[in-house]
Amino acid sequence: MTAQPRMPAWLDPSPWLDGRGATPADVERALGCDAPGPRELAALLSPAARPFMEEMAQRARALTQRHFGRTISMYAPLYLANFCTNGCAYCGFASDRVQPRRRLEPPEVEEELAALKETGFEEVLLLTGERTPHAGFDYLLECVSLAARMFHAVGVEAFPMTTREYALLAEAGCSGVTLYQETYDPRQYDRLHRWGPKKDYLDRLDGPARAMEAGIRTVGLGVLLGLSDPVFDAVCLLRHAAHLQRDHWKSGITLSFPRLRPQSGNFSATFPVDEAGLARLVFAVRIVLPDVPLLLSTRERPEFRDGMAGLGISKMSAGSRTSVGGYGEADPATEGQFEVGDKRSVPDFCAMLRNRGLEPVFKNWDSVFRDAAGAGHG
Amino acid sequence: MGTGKFQDAETMVGAVRASGAQIVTVALRRVGRNPREDDMLGSLGELKGITLMPNTSGARNASEAIRAARLGRELCGSPFVKVEIHPNPHHLMPDPIETFEAATVLAAEGFVVMPYMPADPVLAKRLEDVGCASLMPLGSAIGSGRGLATAEMLRLILRDARIPVIVDAGLRSPSEAAAALEMGCDAVLVNSAVAASGDPIAMAAAFARAVGAGRDAHRAGLMPQGGGAALATSPLTAFLSVEGA
Ligand code: SF4
Repeated sequence: MTAQPRMPAWLDPSPWLDGRGATPADVERALGCDAPGPRELAALLSPAARPFMEEMAQRARALTQRHFGRTISMYAPLYLANFCTNGCAYCGFASDRVQPRRRLEPPEVEEELAALKETGFEEVLLLTGERTPHAGFDYLLECVSLAARMFHAVGVEAFPMTTREYALLAEAGCSGVTLYQETYDPRQYDRLHRWGPKKDYLDRLDGPARAMEAGIRTVGLGVLLGLSDPVFDAVCLLRHAAHLQRDHWKSGITLSFPRLRPQSGNFSATFPVDEAGLARLVFAVRIVLPDVPLLLSTRERPEFRDGMAGLGISKMSAGSRTSVGGYGEADPATEGQFEVGDKRSVPDFCAMLRNRGLEPVFKNWDSVFRDAAGAGHG
Repeated sequence: MGTGKFQDAETMVGAVRASGAQIVTVALRRVGRNPREDDMLGSLGELKGITLMPNTSGARNASEAIRAARLGRELCGSPFVKVEIHPNPHHLMPDPIETFEAATVLAAEGFVVMPYMPADPVLAKRLEDVGCASLMPLGSAIGSGRGLATAEMLRLILRDARIPVIVDAGLRSPSEAAAALEMGCDAVLVNSAVAASGDPIAMAAAFARAVGAGRDAHRAGLMPQGGGAALATSPLTAFLSVEGA
């Protein structure tokens, strides 16, 4: 298709993209395959797989149950700051968007954490935009230390860092790093990241490996659905995950499936993915990666989230606020990064899970593992 | 019985009761230090007469497992520990080297150590030598439901073991549990097979009966296997002299 001058060979999806033209027989073969890989993933995402939705869902549910039981791990995002120097065309926090900017001061971070803890969470994901003088690495490190005092599991979703920085985060108690490539298509990537450090495709691509190298236990990968051809991106995502698993066998991988949501700036998806498309993607990924936790955020509407819980998806957030100061403040001064689709409270969401025969698990990790002598590398 | 994969505490407690389990293992990573509604220790407290065995699942190396075991003893008041060290968070295969190291330290500290281990007969003896209370080799990969894929290795472990052997991980059906007991294993540990079944409580009861049947069969002694080809009309040993008989 496109020339991809900057795409490393280990990531290049082209040999498998023929699978987009799969026949029903190819789809059946993919469903019956013992060790499905990129070829099978492409077939399961091809138009020919549309009539197999129910079969894929059944398979996805059985695999999810086998590996994760009837449980859903719960986490909550916490937005620390919305300063950003990048120009991501699809984001409400991009530097050309007019909106109030702020960061939470450490005492405020503590208040937000306390408000979250009240609702039962034991795993928190701290988010911020690009490294800025207002909210740079040292600030993030301080926030991780604060969170680690109160939460068993602390994750960070922020700018790519150096191996040394990731090691410092791990030492401070960070067990997870999330870094989405947004899109693996280098040409689209270049177009959508209009300016700022995020323009560096390869630096971002290599970020998860640096985090693992530094002893971060779990790294979250994902693409922002809507930016590029979803089959291209899905095959790359799978290859990225496989590459990391080979090089860093002691680290875990999680995958998320964020879809482009309305935000300030009014960017609309070039490759929109509808709910059926998203569901099929989750099923297909579950089939090829049976033991990887798959996440779904509150971007999606309640009915869709209810249906997907346990059907491939094994980890979910609830009661999320995507604005800075969203938990503690009655009326946060900033807008959220994206519109929340599922606005239900944590107890309401948990009641739904229980009704569907699923147990919400808030604590699935213990900080005792974090401080073991010689922590980091086993 | 393992406790980590149930849809709610009530089903878990019901299944444990129905299974007739004597030991229940609970992942420390699921236990809170401040009791809460979804805290596993709360519901497990209802189960009288059952030994609570904290496990170190989540530990990637010996030092993490040792810390978790010590914390487990503090929280659960139980000297039992299932040492579970799986550095690869995806397939969850036990690390033989780190497991051996942790078992050595914990046994010396007076823990009742039950290690989750690869089905390796040499490792089994090494773990026995450092003072483990039982061996917990895997039947097949966790959650794979592939049953007793390691049967040949399990037989070698059983032949030489002086301590109980409990098949852990991979079992899917009661018949596989029965087969493990028939083979001479002392017990099985199941979680997914019950929790992810259609009716966990009924499945737990089915496992209980299968374990009972397997144990009885082992005690009764199975008949010799096979028998080979039918006896030839002219015996192969006819040439042997009867002299001196
Ligand atoms: S996506 Fe992240 S890096 Fe890009 S503009 Fe938004 S906050 Fe900044």
